[in-house]
Amino acid sequence: MSSGRSSKPGQAKSRKTLGLFDPKTEDAPSGILGASLKPNPQVIGTPNFELETYISNYKGRSRFNRLFHIGTTSDVLAVDALKLAVAQALSETDVDQYLKAVQALARLAPKDPELAPNLGWVGKVRADMQAKTERLESELRGYKNNLIKESIRMGNEDLGNHFYATGDLPAASRAYWQMRDFCTTPTHVSSMYLKLINVSMDRNDWISTHAYVYRLRNALSKPEDMAKNTPRTVIALGLSQMHQGQYLEAANTFLSIDPTGVLEETFDEVISANDVAVYGGLCALASMTRDDLKRRVLDNKSFRNFLELEPHIRRAIKCFWEARYRPLLDILESYRVDYMLDVHLHKHIDTLYRQIRVKSIQQYLIPSSKTVLKDMIAIFSPELMGGEAKPFSLSSPFIVELIRLIENDLIDFRIDLVGGFLVRNQVDLRAQVQAEILQNVAEFNNAVRLRMLNMEIMDSPMAIEPVTAADRAYRRPNDPNLPDFQEGSNAYQGNPST
Amino acid sequence: MSIVNDLIAASETLPRSGRISDERYDQKLKDHVTRLRQLLSNNELNHVAHDESLLDQFDPSKDSITYLFLLQLQIHNLRETTSETFPAALLPLGKLWSRSAHYLEIFNPVQVRYAGHEWRQLIELVVQAAQADSKPLLAARLVKGAMLRLDPSCAVFTSTHLLLVQLCLAAKAYTCALPVLEKPIYHIPILPSRSPFRSLQSLCAEYESSVAFVNDTTGLSSTLNSQDYLQYFLYGGMIYMALKKWDEALNYLGTAISMPTKGPISMVAVEAYKKFILVGLLDKGKTCSLPNSTATQVVKTLQSLVKPYLDLAKAFEQGDRIRLEAEIDAAQGIWSADKNTGLVFQVLNAFCKHSLVKIKKVVASLSVAELTAPISPFQGNLSGITESQIASLIMAGDLDATLAHSQLHSSSSILRFKAESLPLLFHENEAHADLQTQGKLMEGLFGSMEQANHRLGLSDEFIDNTVNRQQWPSAGGMKSEMGGATGLEMEEDIMGDLS
Repeated sequence: MSSGRSSKPGQAKSRKTLGLFDPKTEDAPSGILGASLKPNPQVIGTPNFELETYISNYKGRSRFNRLFHIGTTSDVLAVDALKLAVAQALSETDVDQYLKAVQALARLAPKDPELAPNLGWVGKVRADMQAKTERLESELRGYKNNLIKESIRMGNEDLGNHFYATGDLPAASRAYWQMRDFCTTPTHVSSMYLKLINVSMDRNDWISTHAYVYRLRNALSKPEDMAKNTPRTVIALGLSQMHQGQYLEAANTFLSIDPTGVLEETFDEVISANDVAVYGGLCALASMTRDDLKRRVLDNKSFRNFLELEPHIRRAIKCFWEARYRPLLDILESYRVDYMLDVHLHKHIDTLYRQIRVKSIQQYLIPSSKTVLKDMIAIFSPELMGGEAKPFSLSSPFIVELIRLIENDLIDFRIDLVGGFLVRNQVDLRAQVQAEILQNVAEFNNAVRLRMLNMEIMDSPMAIEPVTAADRAYRRPNDPNLPDFQEGSNAYQGNPST
Repeated sequence: MSIVNDLIAASETLPRSGRISDERYDQKLKDHVTRLRQLLSNNELNHVAHDESLLDQFDPSKDSITYLFLLQLQIHNLRETTSETFPAALLPLGKLWSRSAHYLEIFNPVQVRYAGHEWRQLIELVVQAAQADSKPLLAARLVKGAMLRLDPSCAVFTSTHLLLVQLCLAAKAYTCALPVLEKPIYHIPILPSRSPFRSLQSLCAEYESSVAFVNDTTGLSSTLNSQDYLQYFLYGGMIYMALKKWDEALNYLGTAISMPTKGPISMVAVEAYKKFILVGLLDKGKTCSLPNSTATQVVKTLQSLVKPYLDLAKAFEQGDRIRLEAEIDAAQGIWSADKNTGLVFQVLNAFCKHSLVKIKKVVASLSVAELTAPISPFQGNLSGITESQIASLIMAGDLDATLAHSQLHSSSSILRFKAESLPLLFHENEAHADLQTQGKLMEGLFGSMEQANHRLGLSDEFIDNTVNRQQWPSAGGMKSEMGGATGLEMEEDIMGDLS
C-alpha cells in the first residue's frame, strides 16, 4: 500500500500544498453556462452605446460573453446581439457556445428561418475537435514516455489551448495546471499563470484568479516579462476584487494601472480601456472619501488617460467633489442601462449605486446640524416633489430611506417630521465616556465577585452534586414565599391558598 | 441563689475594657460560655427558670452571652410547662417576645460570636413565632437589624439571609430587605478545616472580612446547601422585581443561574432563568446575556428547558407585535403554571415602550396618527397603540417626550421626542465618588483574591496535585504564581508528613 502511494510523492504533495486547483473536486459552473441557468433580470431601455461600436472593442470569448449577456437581458438589442453572437460562434470552434446562442435566439424569434441551427457545421466541428483531442493526447503520452520536460510542457499547453478553444474550460485549466511540474524557466512559469488567469476569469472563478495573480507576482520572473505581464495581472486582480465586493481595493487596483501598457496593447480578450475607466471610477466613487477622490482620481495623471475615454465618469466624480449631488445622480441614472448590460458590472451596479447615494447623503449632511427636508428631497428624490401632498409623511419613500439609514447608524440624525427638518444628534462625549467607564468598572467588579463566589462554592460541599435529594424534593412552593407577580401592581399578591 | 450572684459578678467583668489583649479576652469569653453551657446541661439553673425579673439584672448590650443563655432557658421552660410550641408570651407583643426583640436590637456583636448557636436559635424562634402569629413583618425588621448589627458588611452568606428574604416576601415588605440585599455577598461560610484563619482562634479580634467568624463552628449560620443559596438569589431577584429595580434583579437572578454545578441543573436555576429572560425584555428590550462564568453546557440545558420564554423573547426582539401577542396567548397555561403571568403581561407594555424608544432614535417629532397607522416603516409595529397609552408611558417617565395639539395638525396630536437628555451640569463629583467607591471595591476584591489564592494553595487537592507533578518532572515545572508563592515552600514538610 505505502509503496504504491509513495510512487508519486512529489506530485501528491505539491497538489496538496498548492491547494489552488483540484481537478477532481473543481466543479464550478463554467462561466456563462452557469449563469444562463438563472436568467438575468430583463433590462428595459436603450443604452447610450451603439452595439456595433461597443462590441468591436472586444474579441474572443469576452466578445461572445458580452453579446450573449446583452442578448439574454436587453429588450431592445437582444436579437441583434444574439445574431452577432451566433456569427461570432460560427467563426470559432466552441460548439456549446454556438448552440447556446442559437437556442436563446430561437426563444426570441422562433419563426425566423435564417436562424435554424447549422447542424452540419456542428457535427463537423465536433468530429474535428474530437480527432484533435485524441491526437494531442496521444502526442502527450509519447512525450511523457520520452521524459523530455519541455515537450511535455508544450504538449500540455497545446492540449490546454485546444480545450480552451472548444470551450471545455475545466479541462483547459487542468491541462495548464499539468504544466507546472515541467516549467524550466521563469518565463514558462509566468506564461502558465497567465493562461490560468485567463481561463479562471472566463470561468468566473474570481477566487482562483486572485490566487493565481498573487502566485504570478511572487514567482521569479525576468524584469521584462514582469513589465509585460503587469497590466494584465492588474486588470485580472481588479476584476476579481470587484467581483468579490471589495470595491475600495478594486478601485485602488484599477487606479494603479499604467495607461501606456494598456493603451498600447489592448486587452480586448477581457476588457477595454473604457471599462477600466468605468469600473475604476464607479468603485472609487462608491468607496473613497471626497479627499481621496480628488487626490487619487481627479488629480491622477495616469488615470486621466482612461477617464478621457468615459468623460461622464469624470464629470460624475467632479460633481461629487463639487457637492452637486443631483447632477451626479442624474448622470449615473442615465447610464444605468449601459451598465446593466455589462457582463461584469451588472451584478454590482445596484450595490455601487446605493453606496454612492448613501455617500452623497452623508456628504450632504456633513456641514449641517439641522437641514430642511424639502431641500434634501429636491436633490435626492425630486420625483416626490410634484404629486405628493405631504412629502414628509412616513409613507414617503425618501423618509423611509432616511429611517433605514438612521437605523443602520449610517447618519447620526433624527427626523423632525412635523417641522420638516433633519436634526443632528448632540452628544456630550465627556459625560458619555464617564458613564461608560463607571459601568465597565461596576461590571468588572461584579464579574470578579461572581467568579470568586463560584470558586468558593466549588471548594465547599455546596456545589450541586450529581443528584441531590433536595433538588428532587423541590416543587414550585405553594407557600407565600413564591407568590405570583400580578399585573400593574408593585406588589406580589399572596397565593390565596395560604 | 449563689449561682446567680456568681453569674452577676462574672457578667460585670465581661464588657471589654480597653487594655485587655485579644487572646485573654477570647479565653475569658470562652470560659464563660463553657461554664454557662455546663450549668444549663446540669440543670443547675432550673430554680430560676421562671423568674423573669432575673433577666433585668443583666444588661444585654454589655453582657450578651449570659442574657442570651438565660433567655433561652426561660423560653425552654415556658414551652415545657405550657406544652405549647408557641405560648402566648412568645408570640409578638408577649413578654418574652418583647425581651427577645429588645435583645436583638442591642446585643453585643462581638460577644455573640461565642454563642452563635444560641443566637441563631433565638432568631429562628422569633421568625417562627411571628409566622405562627401571621406577623412576618415584625420578625423581618428584627432579623434585618440583627444581621446588620452582627456583621455590618453582610458579605458572608448565612441561613439568616434566606430567612430574611422569605419573611420580606411573605410580608410584602420589599424595602425592608433592601439594606441587606444591597450588600453584595462575597463569601460563603468556609469549612473550618479549610479556613485560612484556623491558626487565629481569637474570635473576638477585629477582622477585615466576616468570613473569619461566620461559619459552621461558631453556629452563626446553619449548614447550607445549594438550594438555600439558589433560593436566596431567586427570592432576592424577586424582591427587586417587585420594586422594579430591574438591573439589580438581573444581577441576583444571574448569580443564581451561574451557580457552578457538577452535573445536573437545579430547578431553582431554571425558574431563575425564566424570570431572567422576562426581566431582560422588560428592562433592556432584549434577552440579556448571562454572566460569563456560566458554563456553556448549563446555558444549553437551560435554553432547552425554557423554549416558550425564548420564543416570546424572539418575537419581542423581532419587533413583531402580532406574533408577540400570539406567543403570549398560546402559552397562557405555562405562564400561569410558572406564576409568571404578571410579568408576561408587563412584557406587552414594555414592548410598546421599547418600540417607541427605538423610534425616538430616528424621529424627533411626528403626529400620533402617522405613528399608529397600520403601515409604518418602523421595526416595532405599533398599530394597536392608542394616544392614551403613549400618554401614560410619558407620565410614567418611561418615555422622554411631549404630546401637543397644534392648529396645523388639528386631526391628531403631535408627539415630540426630546433630544437626548444633555445633563446641563453633569455631576462630575458624583462620578468621581462613584469611581472611588468602585476602586475601593476592586482593592477589596484583589485582597480576597490573594487570600483565596493562599487558601487554595494550602488545600489538600492542590498539594496532592503538586506532589504528583513532582513525581513526573517532565509534566512541566510549577511555574504558576500560586505554586511559587505557597505550594513549593511547603513542599519539604508535606513530603515528610506523607511519608
